Amino acid sequence: MAASTEQSQGSSFLGKHQFLVYRLFSLSGFIPVGAFVVVHLATNASILAGPEAFQSRVDMIHGLGPLLPIVEWLFIFLPMIFHASIGFVIISGGLPNVGSYPYVGNVRYTLQRATGMIAFAFILWHIIQLHWMGAALGGGAFDPHRASSSAATAIAPMLVGILYAIGIVSVVFHFSNGLWTLGITWGLWTSSAAMQRASWACLVIGLTLGTLGLGALVAMRAVDVEQAKSIEERMEQMHRDNSVEKTFLPTSKQGA
Amino acid sequence: MIGVSTKNAASGDAISNKNQSAKDRKSTERVVHVRVLRQDGPGQASYWERHEIPYELNMNVISILQRIAQKSCTQDGRPVPPVAWDCNCLEEVCGSCTMVVNGRTRMACTSLVDALLVEDAQEIELRPMSKFPVVRDLVVDRRRVFHALKRVQAWIPIDGSFDQGPGPRISPDEQQDAYPLSTCMSCGCCLEACPQYTKIEIVKRPEETVEELGIRREAAFHREFMGAHAISQAMLFNNHPTGRMNAEERLSSLTSQGGIQMCGNAQNCVAVCPKSIPLTRSIARAGRAATVWAIKKLFDR
Repeated sequence: MAASTEQSQGSSFLGKHQFLVYRLFSLSGFIPVGAFVVVHLATNASILAGPEAFQSRVDMIHGLGPLLPIVEWLFIFLPMIFHASIGFVIISGGLPNVGSYPYVGNVRYTLQRATGMIAFAFILWHIIQLHWMGAALGGGAFDPHRASSSAATAIAPMLVGILYAIGIVSVVFHFSNGLWTLGITWGLWTSSAAMQRASWACLVIGLTLGTLGLGALVAMRAVDVEQAKSIEERMEQMHRDNSVEKTFLPTSKQGA
Repeated sequence: MIGVSTKNAASGDAISNKNQSAKDRKSTERVVHVRVLRQDGPGQASYWERHEIPYELNMNVISILQRIAQKSCTQDGRPVPPVAWDCNCLEEVCGSCTMVVNGRTRMACTSLVDALLVEDAQEIELRPMSKFPVVRDLVVDRRRVFHALKRVQAWIPIDGSFDQGPGPRISPDEQQDAYPLSTCMSCGCCLEACPQYTKIEIVKRPEETVEELGIRREAAFHREFMGAHAISQAMLFNNHPTGRMNAEERLSSLTSQGGIQMCGNAQNCVAVCPKSIPLTRSIARAGRAATVWAIKKLFDR
């Protein structure tokens, strides 16, 4: 009743479905975008166990073969584009006032928006640099068969390393602080004491992810490219031998 | 403040009186510098004006404004019309004297000069609220605050004037929970400090009638954020056994355009609320109620 009269007053599509869209925005930050970030950082952190461990994780993901781009677009890129677009709408509607009201919550509000924008720029550059265009943008493309060596080469320049560190910290803050606000938005924690406890939990999550992310960055930059290459070549050769064996097993039997 | 350390009560009083009168004489020499952001009318340019008034003990911002009105001239002696402001109860209950004092939104009546001078010994700065259209000087048009209360039906409808018998009983726990929310005085501090709440100033078009202007203004109010106070009032009435009968209508308003989804969780509202109302708890509860309601609507229809 009240709502129907309210909603009948000529407003945009986004206005009419604002609640639903903003809730989907909130959800998308957790699943699938946030979940992907966690998996991605954890996968990268496997470099801490050496190029072999990292290569085997990458091989597992790239085992999806032709399905990979579909999975990427459906569960990663499109949700990210949605989250970023609505994010920019939200940012443009706010008026940060941390100068007049320097409270912790307000600082976090402002940082959430700032890190969101940094994360957007960083992720865009990161994907274009490593995924699509590679060498054209400096550094070099990521080669799934030469996972550690290609990644290490791409992020070797000091400036790239610094920008990656800023990007990782921004993404991790945005995710873990966003997790806290998501809990308020959906009504998981309601009292100020519960919000405080959730805040600590999100801080622990953030510090863990930040350690994983920055640890992976440092470890990746410390990779001995030549040594990694030889490991990767050996692994690829083993892979090829395995698949050759599988493909030609019946023929070889016939021959025998 | 006045040290009385003598064993003899009578002599102690004498000393304190002496101190008191010395203090008074001294205090009349002190002046308070006040900087006011003035505006002669809606849509006009604002300008700063400096005033100087003698210091008195236990002054608040309202008494400063009264002294400025008495003097009606600036620091440099230029005669000016008195600064206009809103106030009523003078005891932080009516919510009408909200202004931005030393850069922070608060009630003029409970903004004590001694405390303000601790914040900034040089001067006291007075500005009108920035989220509402200025009517004149420190007086702003706060009808959007009340419009939001209408949106969420912050009342319990009483059908007819006949006796409906006693209402449902409320447990002491529920009373304890609801009481803080009921102290909201619609002062608008939560809105002034909220980074998600932005100013709406509808200017009358030359060809427009007053009625058309009103319709256009209401439509704008409907599109934009209702604010923490309205969400909290909706929760107050939705958690009241009689108010609960209209819970769905309030939830419908809370999830309409400009509803709870506009909250950005900066939590300034709860930090500046003069009545210390747990506004963020109300917002989170509204979020939970909306989640449950939305799921119900999805599966029950």
